[in-house]
Amino acid sequence: MEMQKLKDAALYAVDKLLEEGADEAQSSAAEGRTEEFNVDAGEFSLIRSVFSSSIGLKAIKDKKKGTTAVNSLDKDDIDDAAKECVQAAISGAEDDAVCIAEKETNMDFRDGVLEGNKEKFFDSIIKFIDDVKKDYPQIMLEQVIANYSYGKHVFANSNGVLFSEEDGSYSISVMYSAHDGDKTTSFNYFDVETLDPGADIMELGMTRTMFERAVAELDAKPFEGKFVGTAVLSPICLTELISVITGSFCGDIALIEGTSPWKNLLGEKVASDSFTLKVIPNDSRIICGEKITAEGYKSENYDVIENGVLRSFCLTQYGANRTGLNRSPSTSGSVEVKAGGESLDEIIAKIDRGILVCRFSGGEPASNGDFSGVAKNSFLIENGKISRPLTETMISGNFAAMLKQVEGISRETLQDGGCVLPYAAFGGVTVSGGAQAE
Amino acid sequence: MMNDSIKKSVLNVPSHTELRRQVISTRRVSVVGGKLLSNVSTRSSGAGARVYKNGVWGFSSIGNPDDDGIKAILKSAGENALLLDSRKPKNRGPLTNASSFEFTEKRPFQETNQKQLIDFARALDSYISEKYPSLTSRSVVISADCIEKELITSEGTFSFQLFPRVYVVVVMSDEANDGENIELFDILGGGEGYFTDYYCDPSELYPAVDRLYTELQQKREGVFPDAGEKLCIIDSSISGMVAHEAVGHTVEADLVLAGSVAATSLGMQVASPLISLTDFANTAFGKKAPLPVYVDDEGTPCRDAVIIKDGVLTGYMNNLESAMHFGMEPCGNARAYAFVDEPLIRMRNTAIHPGKDKLEDMIASVDNGYYLTKTQNGQADTTGEFMFGITMGYEIKNGKLGKALRDTTISGVAFNMLKTVDMLSDGVSWDFAGYCGKKQPMPVGMGGPALRCRVNIGGR
Repeated sequence: MEMQKLKDAALYAVDKLLEEGADEAQSSAAEGRTEEFNVDAGEFSLIRSVFSSSIGLKAIKDKKKGTTAVNSLDKDDIDDAAKECVQAAISGAEDDAVCIAEKETNMDFRDGVLEGNKEKFFDSIIKFIDDVKKDYPQIMLEQVIANYSYGKHVFANSNGVLFSEEDGSYSISVMYSAHDGDKTTSFNYFDVETLDPGADIMELGMTRTMFERAVAELDAKPFEGKFVGTAVLSPICLTELISVITGSFCGDIALIEGTSPWKNLLGEKVASDSFTLKVIPNDSRIICGEKITAEGYKSENYDVIENGVLRSFCLTQYGANRTGLNRSPSTSGSVEVKAGGESLDEIIAKIDRGILVCRFSGGEPASNGDFSGVAKNSFLIENGKISRPLTETMISGNFAAMLKQVEGISRETLQDGGCVLPYAAFGGVTVSGGAQAE
Repeated sequence: MMNDSIKKSVLNVPSHTELRRQVISTRRVSVVGGKLLSNVSTRSSGAGARVYKNGVWGFSSIGNPDDDGIKAILKSAGENALLLDSRKPKNRGPLTNASSFEFTEKRPFQETNQKQLIDFARALDSYISEKYPSLTSRSVVISADCIEKELITSEGTFSFQLFPRVYVVVVMSDEANDGENIELFDILGGGEGYFTDYYCDPSELYPAVDRLYTELQQKREGVFPDAGEKLCIIDSSISGMVAHEAVGHTVEADLVLAGSVAATSLGMQVASPLISLTDFANTAFGKKAPLPVYVDDEGTPCRDAVIIKDGVLTGYMNNLESAMHFGMEPCGNARAYAFVDEPLIRMRNTAIHPGKDKLEDMIASVDNGYYLTKTQNGQADTTGEFMFGITMGYEIKNGKLGKALRDTTISGVAFNMLKTVDMLSDGVSWDFAGYCGKKQPMPVGMGGPALRCRVNIGGR
């Protein structure tokens, strides 16, 4: 469908919602296609083509909200969905905070690769699979999902907001483990995005580092005993902490319900001076970042934490209305933790006793930041060096407290197209283990 | 429903081919702190086709297709299979599903009324708000979804199935004695079926809400467990997670082929002789399973997959391809979530069989350990190493329940931990409200009795 027709569908839906009785109306129409290659247990297994279209509707009637979504852009289906959406709003409950986006400047965005090259990308994946077998024979590619995705999206509302975006990119998700005779490691995974169908996937992100670490994990042994020390989180592992910051500490629900430990700390110190967290949808290192927020505002970069000071929560306009705080300029998950000046090796050299955590498998952290879980794909640090790989080792602590005990941030960063993240070392983490009964 | 022309175009394909038409409808209402935060209904419908060619597959899907659209995705799926076979041939020969039969769901689809859900959620929220005004937060969530699936295969199997599911979740939080915020949630009622099958008057859930509040108050005064390996009673409400996460994923044949711990354990003693574990298709322990499946998405009639019998690993969960590889009979574990998804090896209703012990005797048998009663999430590794988040539990001191526990995590290696099981309760609890994540989401059932075992528990 041409972009203009998608705009027509979105605007038709807004009109239809108003015609059905909505006071305010919003629609979000999308169309796309995905070409996907699947590898299972090291062998190609499937090529998948998906053609999709959808429209999401929101109606506000007497300060009551209803939302509906259908995967069709046909007028009859939009008519039915609009009717259902307004009926849902009428059945709803009054809430002064419900709203639609105010009109700013309407814009059309285009980004990335709008015409995918299936053959060339297929060649790149074949090369990657062959390279892994050649360079890392102990690595088993449990699953690789590689796809080219193209999409068009139009956002419209009854305040006159009309945004469109069109983008396309290549992404590769890899789940792997290492095997050598009877020895086997925990699985690990990573995702990378690129705009180049001919990219050398082995050289993207931290692919080689992750495979090398997996091979080193083959001799992992359980940890016995317990100590409180320093946890160095790998860039991928750092995303766990960031999701707690943006959700449990700064997100809509946490602030509306008042469960955030930071609810009264805007402008206050919440982390060590060296810790800066930014949301960066418009950064050139982010591939096809968010252009329009989920509510229909132009998405902008912003700082959540600057040099340890809480500068912004991560609130939608609805969350802002409910709490009396400000809306955040983006709903994107593309983040950067500002790199430090030391190398990972220099950070580790300063640690007497600690753990390098490359994957965390844990329960949902408590709203206050308490967490415990298994340190997967991880290594013991003793006397300034990585001493051995670990298995069956648990870590626990409190994320809010950890942020105030930053002991180092690396200059090396993972840039995978979706984020820019370094290694980060935090004190005060409990490491524990215990041999299993045979 | 598929017409004769469409059926003919599938039946005429020489290589194994599946065509699936699906509708997924979801309704979700959430009342958070007295406000209606979510009031959502969605509907997604379309068709997906998958074609086999000498060991590789092609797949294609489209939303709301007419006959031409369906023919187009059959063609596109065939071209994808051909492309993969030409570039990365496996030369594995044809794949055939021996079965050819018809299965049609007899009950009709029942539309759920959004207003009914909203009124119910608000009434329940009002009860909580009025009776327990000191809570720091509260929320009520109602989820009602239904998957309609229509399948035809080139072997001539035809099936039409409905998978409706509904449940109510209540979440409460309060300030603990040390000033920290603590939270607890529970699923109140519900199951396979429609809203009115399970819920009529919100007051029927008040006793369950009261129990949840009592537990939350115990947790306010809770303690963190001592970290390390401990003797624990894992309540029947959690043991399904052991069946699903700790064992189930390692015996999915695609993960076995990728090198899971079960690859070298077939026929071996992997658990205490007290342990038997089955992935049930549609009935379990003489009753309808929580989420019954009758035909899988490759057209295989579903039957129980026996995984562990008396502690010995006896089988895997398979699709047609892996069953052929391992020389096992497929039991109908190939399932796809939405029409855009290809079938993967998935669990259905996975459970540890009950034993003969009484729960109170099991607790009384522990001098120093923990009784773990609620979980929130779990993850497993292909090595069998697992982790569950624990949101409620108690100390056991000298055979008696002590203080409640604050949030913690348990972990272990499944086949090691299961060897330490020396008591099993005589009742089974099922969990039906979760989604299993494995490329695609999938509603699954999981269950089991209370287990006495040794497991690692996290502290603070």
